[in-house]
Amino acid sequence: MNRDAISRRQALQQVALLLGGAISAPTLAGVLSADTRRAWATSPHWAPRTLDPAQLELVATVAEHIIPQTDTPGARAVGVHGFVDTLLTDHYPVTERDRFLAGLAGLDARAQSAHGRTFAQCAPGQRVALLTAMDAQAYGPSRGEDGWFFRRMKELTLVGYYTSEIGASRELRVNPMGTYLGDIPFPASGGREWS
Amino acid sequence: MITYDAIVIGSGITGGWAAKELTEKGLRTLVIERGRNVVHRKDYITEHKPAWEMPLHNARLSVGTRGAEEYPVQARTNQFRESNKHFFVNDHKHPYIEEKPFTWIQGDQVGGKSLIWGRQVYRWSDLDFEANLRDGHGVDWPIRYADVAPWYSYVERFIGVSGEKLGLPHLPDGEFQPPMEMNAGEKLVKAGVEKAFPGRHVTIGRVAILTQPLHGRLPCHYCGPCERGCSTGSYFSSQASTLPAAQATGRLTIVPDSIVHSVLYDASKNRVTGVRVVDTNTKATREYYARVVFVCASALGTARILLNSTSARFPNGLANSSGVLGHYLMDHHFLVGARGRIDGLLDRYYQGNRPNGIYIPRFRNLGDDASRRDYVRGFGYQGGAGREGWGRGSSEAGLGVELKRRLQEPGGWSMGLTGFGECLPREDNYAALSDQTDEFGIPVLRIHCTWGDNELAMRTDMAASAAEMLQAAGVKDVRTYDAHREEGLGAEPGLGIHEMGTARMGRDPRTSVLSAHNQAHDVPNLFVTDGACMASSSCVNPSITYMALTARACEYAVGELKRGNL
Repeated sequence: MNRDAISRRQALQQVALLLGGAISAPTLAGVLSADTRRAWATSPHWAPRTLDPAQLELVATVAEHIIPQTDTPGARAVGVHGFVDTLLTDHYPVTERDRFLAGLAGLDARAQSAHGRTFAQCAPGQRVALLTAMDAQAYGPSRGEDGWFFRRMKELTLVGYYTSEIGASRELRVNPMGTYLGDIPFPASGGREWS
Repeated sequence: MITYDAIVIGSGITGGWAAKELTEKGLRTLVIERGRNVVHRKDYITEHKPAWEMPLHNARLSVGTRGAEEYPVQARTNQFRESNKHFFVNDHKHPYIEEKPFTWIQGDQVGGKSLIWGRQVYRWSDLDFEANLRDGHGVDWPIRYADVAPWYSYVERFIGVSGEKLGLPHLPDGEFQPPMEMNAGEKLVKAGVEKAFPGRHVTIGRVAILTQPLHGRLPCHYCGPCERGCSTGSYFSSQASTLPAAQATGRLTIVPDSIVHSVLYDASKNRVTGVRVVDTNTKATREYYARVVFVCASALGTARILLNSTSARFPNGLANSSGVLGHYLMDHHFLVGARGRIDGLLDRYYQGNRPNGIYIPRFRNLGDDASRRDYVRGFGYQGGAGREGWGRGSSEAGLGVELKRRLQEPGGWSMGLTGFGECLPREDNYAALSDQTDEFGIPVLRIHCTWGDNELAMRTDMAASAAEMLQAAGVKDVRTYDAHREEGLGAEPGLGIHEMGTARMGRDPRTSVLSAHNQAHDVPNLFVTDGACMASSSCVNPSITYMALTARACEYAVGELKRGNL
């Protein structure tokens, strides 16, 4: 199948078919949110070029767990998964891309051994438990391959999210151009960090 | 036959200055540029572009990543990103041979590296101009600070430099616009260092960035990444500053996409007569003629052109009767220092992206009791403080709502210092022509350059002194670093992008290429005013010294031309 020929809409339809009832309510809300529709609508011909639809959905789901929707949109809504696919395709050396893809498979293997199902099939509580354990491992003494993957996934999520328009300007604040004020009280930035 | 009064090879920091000075003094001047044309404003294609409008969100394109395939050398500098790669040379098009690791960062456009330079500007002093004479390394400079001081002022008044006056004899003050402000972390470190080490200073960087309007250019609007180009002309570049001035005279012609093959020489008159260029698009050869030639092609570019300009009189390169052409290559060694955490100040922040940091002027080997026996010369530090951003999240455990909330506010403060050290002039650091030619039929350089014992001994002190000062200022968890790897990449020569010294000035034509006015000892109407002319390196950023020497050489050259001596 020629991946390049798949439109974004088709990819979304495939993801929805693939996941069926397993998709959680909050995630579904994310997929259908106005922000998501707007993000996807900006380039109607977009389709993943490295990740297959299941992998794309897995990345979107994990990213959303790392930076979830709160009073501002989360990672899924800003299209972190699309950013990850772009980086894997157009920026990562092949060895690093393959290592990341193996890490994605490793996440499913972990879900299988813990719960007898893929990560996508796990209940929300099981997903959180899996990712929390991986996070602890990633910043603990014996990181391992899972730890490497999780750190990388987290880094990609943060970069993708906070350099997106929503992450940079609605969750954080864009440092305004104009004058430079070298030493001001912290709350002067609206109590937020400059993106 | 196309004849001009003057030909300037290169349109970067010194080529732009030569163009301005020569045209303003009445010379019809041709500027020849290897790279493509870059039009001020129009061609700053990524200026103010937010990360989300770039496919890779402005990724750092490091060596080996996709996006850097054509730039295996340029990608070594941390400056090289998705947003500015179009202002760096394609390494496949302009190759060279590294006999030892040497990173040659090159621009390839009208404006050269003036579009992407670091903009830090510090005057030299007699501590620098007398250094070779005092310790015997290199040859004595044929000039002193008094010769250059008025030209520093002349340049500063035109380009605009913001900074703080300190009254130090070894780092002379200039014609400064108001300095940029320090942030709370930097103020804390400044107070701590100056209290613990009387005589040392922490000051805001002196930068060629406007804080007040000047000559139709606007003050900085603090968007941050200068190296994408600046439509308000707030930092000095050839495009914003010197080339428009030259253009205004009606006597300037610029020819881009033309790489100089060699400088033409007439032995019967002992004069250069023009240049031979290769059109980089059609590969056709053309010649241009003039009464005087200024070579401003960057230290290594200039060496390459002169070495390739051979004749019966100069079989080893034009104006190279001394044999030192290509030798005594220098750069500043850096990427060594320390950083640490500042506790507290969580109620302080800043607004705007200040394209500048702090500077700690040299305090070693000034002749006082802080002098060292294990190395000569000295170093300064550049650095800065800031609050950690969202990136800290990937080095800390945590995820979900808790992580997102935590990253809403800026993190703690940290402060870093990076040393910039002087490099001694050594004959065995050199660039020479290889047997290999590029696609334009011009021999490519082979470069042989290493740090010597003096630089390596200095680096040990650069790391230790940085840590000592930070600790004295109360900075916590201070760690030193040194990116240099013996025989490897990390802090190899060239990476400082201050390469200089391949056609040095000197008093004796037997041991130097250029006179006190950047005039070739051997050929009166040939001038070299870029970094190639340097007889030593000092430890301060060199560009403003190149500019001052260029303006000074232009006045001399035009005077000599009028007196009929060229």
